[in-house]
Amino acid sequence: MATLKLNNVSKVYDGAGERAVDAVTMHIDDGEIIALLGSSGCGKTTTLRMVAGLESVTDGEIRVGDRVVNNVTPSQRNIAMAFETYALYPPLRVRENIAFGLLRDRAPSAEIEKRVKSIAAMLEITDLLERFPPSISGGSQQRVSLARALIRNAAVYLLDEPMSQLEPQLRALLRARIKDYLIAHKMTTVVVTHDQTEAIALADRIAVMEKGVLQQFATPHDLQERPANLFVASFIGEPPMNLFPAVAKDGKIAVLNERQEVAFHVPLGSEAASRLGDGKRIMVGVRPHRIRLASGGEVTGATLVGEVSSNHWLGDHCQVGFQVRGCSVIAVAGRDLQARPGSQLPVVIPGEAVRIFDVDSGAAILQDAEPAVSLVV
Amino acid sequence: MNGKSVLRAVALTLIGLFFLFPLFWVVLMSFMTNADILRNPPSPFFSPTFHNYVALVSGQLVTTVGTQKIDYMLNLFNSTVLSAFSVILSLILGVPAAYAFARYKFRLGEDMAFTLLSFRFAPPLLVLLPLLLYFQSIGLYDTYIGLIWVYQLITLPLVLWIVRGYFEDVSEDIELAYRLDGHSWLSTFFRISIPLARPGIAAAALLSFIFAWNNFIFALILGSSSVQPVTVGALAFVTASGIEYGQIAAALVFSIVPTLVLAMFTQRYLVEGLSLGAIKG
Amino acid sequence: MAFLEITGLSKSFKQHEVIRDLSVAIEKGEFLVIFGPSGCGKTVLLRLIAGMMQPDAGDIVIDGRSVVDLNPENRDIGMAFQNYALYPHMTAYENIASPLRSRHVPEAEVGTRVHDTARMLRIDHVLDHLPKALSQGQKQRTALARSLVGRPSVVLLDDPLRNVDAKIRYEMRFELPRVLRRYEATVIYVTQDYKEAMALGDRVAVLVDGAFRQVAHPHEVYDAPGTTRIARLFGDPPINLVPVQPVTAAGGVEMNVAGGTVRLPADSAAVAGRDCTFGIRSEDIWVSLEPTEGLPVTLEAITPVNNRLVMLLRGDEGTELFASCPQGSALDHLRGRHKAWATMDLARAHFFDHGDGVRI
Repeated sequence: MATLKLNNVSKVYDGAGERAVDAVTMHIDDGEIIALLGSSGCGKTTTLRMVAGLESVTDGEIRVGDRVVNNVTPSQRNIAMAFETYALYPPLRVRENIAFGLLRDRAPSAEIEKRVKSIAAMLEITDLLERFPPSISGGSQQRVSLARALIRNAAVYLLDEPMSQLEPQLRALLRARIKDYLIAHKMTTVVVTHDQTEAIALADRIAVMEKGVLQQFATPHDLQERPANLFVASFIGEPPMNLFPAVAKDGKIAVLNERQEVAFHVPLGSEAASRLGDGKRIMVGVRPHRIRLASGGEVTGATLVGEVSSNHWLGDHCQVGFQVRGCSVIAVAGRDLQARPGSQLPVVIPGEAVRIFDVDSGAAILQDAEPAVSLVV
Repeated sequence: MNGKSVLRAVALTLIGLFFLFPLFWVVLMSFMTNADILRNPPSPFFSPTFHNYVALVSGQLVTTVGTQKIDYMLNLFNSTVLSAFSVILSLILGVPAAYAFARYKFRLGEDMAFTLLSFRFAPPLLVLLPLLLYFQSIGLYDTYIGLIWVYQLITLPLVLWIVRGYFEDVSEDIELAYRLDGHSWLSTFFRISIPLARPGIAAAALLSFIFAWNNFIFALILGSSSVQPVTVGALAFVTASGIEYGQIAAALVFSIVPTLVLAMFTQRYLVEGLSLGAIKG
Repeated sequence: MAFLEITGLSKSFKQHEVIRDLSVAIEKGEFLVIFGPSGCGKTVLLRLIAGMMQPDAGDIVIDGRSVVDLNPENRDIGMAFQNYALYPHMTAYENIASPLRSRHVPEAEVGTRVHDTARMLRIDHVLDHLPKALSQGQKQRTALARSLVGRPSVVLLDDPLRNVDAKIRYEMRFELPRVLRRYEATVIYVTQDYKEAMALGDRVAVLVDGAFRQVAHPHEVYDAPGTTRIARLFGDPPINLVPVQPVTAAGGVEMNVAGGTVRLPADSAAVAGRDCTFGIRSEDIWVSLEPTEGLPVTLEAITPVNNRLVMLLRGDEGTELFASCPQGSALDHLRGRHKAWATMDLARAHFFDHGDGVRI
């Protein structure tokens, strides 16, 4: 249980030229759970491996607690890690694999056994304790690897894609149990994942990375409601934020469709438009969850009409794809919405849900018609 | 240039020298006269002569006592023919067999494959005497066909085991995809399976060639002067009047050449990776 | 007469019956999703339809013609694989052109058709790349293009989005139907992701342990699952299943659940006196931090999922339950354990027989 600080950490591979990790700065509080989120090759795993000590740091420093650990060997850093490839010891039973880390601490064997049983019960692998790793499924091996890391008393816990092989039903249950466990034991944890659903479920704060650069480090709520740039806006959320090209003209903000015609106007006040400057091209973002659809003719201030092109009913909600004068939009509605493909629906896009981004840099300009909050560290 | 890479360069040079030095010395020897070679202490400085190579090519072994006829060029030709055709026959037989072993799990399949491999372990002397008698009675003694056939004991197991491993690594899904595209099984075998197993086939071919080339005992017993390869032919250099080291060295240099050429030719196939990212993970 | 009919298909490996007497009829242009957990036999089923192996019994009829004795190359089937199965030594263009080459289609037409399909899947700018130079998403689209370009009668999609990053998988969920509709394809799509199944399928065939347990429209599979297994497979978090014994009591039917007693709706006579498994979905349980008439529980963990909060509750006697609610309530920023009260919407409850798991 310690703080973890990365200060301007970079990784450059010899001869590659480009930076796998570019000047990443993050301060993680004691007991905080954070996620490193991004698509393949964004630098998240490299960053994790630098914290673990499996990769050397080209620039910057990493501190566990108050100690700079750049040149400390992995075994001396007091860090527990669960690997994406499990890395279990084949000749040892599952029970012995899990207990392995505790042997170093020389705890009494009765206590070790008790803790192994308790963590196995939490991760639903109790009946596998006497088996050997090669004989159990990938999802089971992954849970053994997790158990081995979580059982230890370490300063920081690093989990690399910890639940990628689990079947969906188990994932929901284990996510909740693991989160409960991490919070109860005040464990400082870094989770690496490419699945933003996983990151949002587990983490107090999420560090979104792309091409080695930290895009935004904020709470899930802030990432969804106040994304710092277009990349974060389009990566977070299922469905992710709707993004439309638009232009500020005549005191209004007009969203353009594929043919560059005006599809609809965004209900932001004229001060927003004038702050942008007449004729300025921008990107407008609206979260699907904030768009209100009304079936059955119920209209409260609706100004737009959408033609439904698809309706994915997912049991507890539905995701509706529709067109507003040539512009494709996705919205999330309750399970009872009647929206057959081809039908027309009134649509409300609330002004306070609109986000404005700069077309060239991708950075957020306006949130709630206020200047955007800058990158949170 | 930091300390680690200087150390690495020095180590590599030393290792390289250790392995390449005998080769280098043999090449040097091939340009020396016997007197220079036997001089004590040995010296790399001498006046080079082509006399050894001339002797080999012209077929005249010049010794201190007199001149002797040798047929080294014929031996070289024989080695090339025997090794090349053995490998070709092994590939024609072995590649489809390796595919069968890789793809079709049939009863006794594993036993069969191991039996075929075991031929490599067996001491050749075990079979040589009976084979000699059979060969003589069916007229295969001292023929190319006879030796090529026997060489299959050396080359075929190698091809089978190496290529089978590579076929096993080719995903069956890729083959199924090609067939669903409308291509026949045969077309799939030639256009998909073989190209993807090419590094293995190249490695097996090269290795088999080397082993066939180096074989001594089969050629010695089952062949005579007309099919003698260089391994047997080298005995001729041990004459009653002494050993002509210079000419042996030149003969050695000649004998390396075909294998070297083959290695350079197959090298780019060996380096090719398998699957090349067409399959996830 | 259905376009693709599978009747009585069975296949065993070494005494182990992998699929057992499978039958289903698929209309022309229909998008059928075969959904099942790993090991249920769906890969074997697809391989049988494709012709990679022979069934022990049963028939496969496509457009009135039995194909079970035909080689794969003669079945007029297109297939996209989970691990792409692209030809590594050929460019993307050649990969996609392959089905056309086998039919000796003239070069000019090959060019047009390959480019059309590539443009629709937005990979026309990387056609000259080898597979190793393509990104995951591009490889998947190339595999899809190859399966569609020949306009086959039937398209088999073997969990094509499994190995693709979560974000691309989500985008393809909207793109795939659009692309497939353009080709008017009859599609069998195999997946382990229930959201994909519900979003994409005209019908969902749930395959468990080698047999179809329910073949129905997605709404029906979610709202009226045939067995406890099916109920658990559809829904995230999974449906809560608790063994109960409802009894007739004064004024109706009651049962004990999660440490408390609840009264069931008036029409629950059928379950009284039986050993049942009670099922309630997380979205049908309401949680309050203020005391209510509901069951007292401990709120152990909150995991936000998209726009909802998923809560892990533990009843006083130890039962774990999932509840979910939309974001934007007092529960939004809670962390750690809290005391709470849970109320269930029993009108939306499911009951299954405790012994065989079948719906009552």
